[in-house]
Amino acid sequence: MREKTVEQYDVVIVGGGPSGLTAAIYCGRARLKTLLIEKSLIGGLATYTNEIENYPGFPDGTGGLQLMELFHKQAKKFGVKIKLTDVKNVELEGDVKKVETFRTIYEAKAVIVAAGGRPRITRATDEERFLFDKGISFCATCDAAANTDKTVMVIGSGDAAIEEGMFLSKFAKEIIVSVIHDEGKMDCNEIARDQALANPKMTFVWNSMVDAFEGEERLERVVLKDLKTGEKKPITVDTCFEFIGYEPNTEIFVGKLNMSKRNYVITNERMETGIPGVFACGDVREKDLKQVATAVGDGAVAGVEAEKFIAETEVFRNQILQTERIGLIYVYSAIDAPSRELLPMMREVEEAYHGQVKLNVIDQYKGKSLCDRLACDVEPMTAFYTKGGEVVEISSKCDKRSVMEMLNTLVQNPIEVVI
Amino acid sequence: MQEQTLDCLGEACPVPLVKTQKALEDLAVGDVLIVQIDHSCAMKNVPEWAREAGHNVEIEEVDDGEWEIVIEKAK
Repeated sequence: MREKTVEQYDVVIVGGGPSGLTAAIYCGRARLKTLLIEKSLIGGLATYTNEIENYPGFPDGTGGLQLMELFHKQAKKFGVKIKLTDVKNVELEGDVKKVETFRTIYEAKAVIVAAGGRPRITRATDEERFLFDKGISFCATCDAAANTDKTVMVIGSGDAAIEEGMFLSKFAKEIIVSVIHDEGKMDCNEIARDQALANPKMTFVWNSMVDAFEGEERLERVVLKDLKTGEKKPITVDTCFEFIGYEPNTEIFVGKLNMSKRNYVITNERMETGIPGVFACGDVREKDLKQVATAVGDGAVAGVEAEKFIAETEVFRNQILQTERIGLIYVYSAIDAPSRELLPMMREVEEAYHGQVKLNVIDQYKGKSLCDRLACDVEPMTAFYTKGGEVVEISSKCDKRSVMEMLNTLVQNPIEVVI
Repeated sequence: MQEQTLDCLGEACPVPLVKTQKALEDLAVGDVLIVQIDHSCAMKNVPEWAREAGHNVEIEEVDDGEWEIVIEKAK
């Protein structure tokens, strides 16, 4: 095996859709060395959409591809490096995270997972044989013109299925819609349903789902199964469009990140995954509304949180856990008077040791994540003692005598305790 | 395990694809071919073909409108 090259980055973003690109813009602008890895097309699923009418700032609407090109350009402007390749493996624990492609191991201080989703497939017999360019499509916009005056099938009855079906009716001569529900019932909104039912080119096969796809080189027939009678009926079509939802691209993260039942990544509202320095944003997250506009919001949060995380890691390592002197770290809270009042005393103690002791104070209220790095659930008025960058003692005894007695056991030249 | 560079700069489709296919024939499994292109259509059809053929593919934009397609022969 060839030795993989190793490259270092501040942030590696997995996925180049709207959320990944937005995170990249924020990271790049914060002058972080940022790499974005996309496995196919920059812009992700948003590029499948021909018209985006609800993304603010474009009163005349815009195209998915067009909008994503603007995102891409903006990310490049801030010096983001972009690689078009597949991520094979990730190691997310620890200070140095690793994202591996087939040639390179990228090491990063923070990783943002923006892997998005992909259209769900029916998993009917022989589906794989006809996917994408061989007769099964997920993009009416892409393939409608090629189906001018042809017969097409649409699978699904959600908003996407019905709206794309109506769009197809401008091109194809007949649209057969396979719906899993009873006659008249659809998952889409009522306006779309009424329009679809009134559309002369659209016919509906109720209570049906796909049993198999048939054909030689290309798809020729879709076999629909009646869910009530079990009867199987082959229907000759030129193209079959599937609109039955999405699933997340999280295979490489299984067992490494916290996930929902359907394998979406669970985060809090700061896009934290639970592993320090690993964030997730966009469609890959367990959340309700999946739009370019929400992906952008997620991406901005993830980008800023990643930046904060990296800055804090540096403060923590270089200042809080300095190695030159014996460390006294005092955790107080600005909203807790007794703990606040001890601050001048702590400074006096530091001075009394003439450079043998380095005092760091953390306001627990503002520096919660710094406290979390020291120990979980730190109460105000806690003293941490460090030697050579390691915490050697934690104590809630913060009176002058206790602090000095403890420091005397650590420093080379103890001093007399005067109260 | 050798690495070979194929210069397709200034060449339009389908020349880069044909050259890539030919160059890969002469390589052994595990070898790497780096195809330099500046024609955006080759940026689509070369990696698409290579992925379909089962090889590992990575694309790097080396300059504005200039790419390197890295193909590792997998079979």
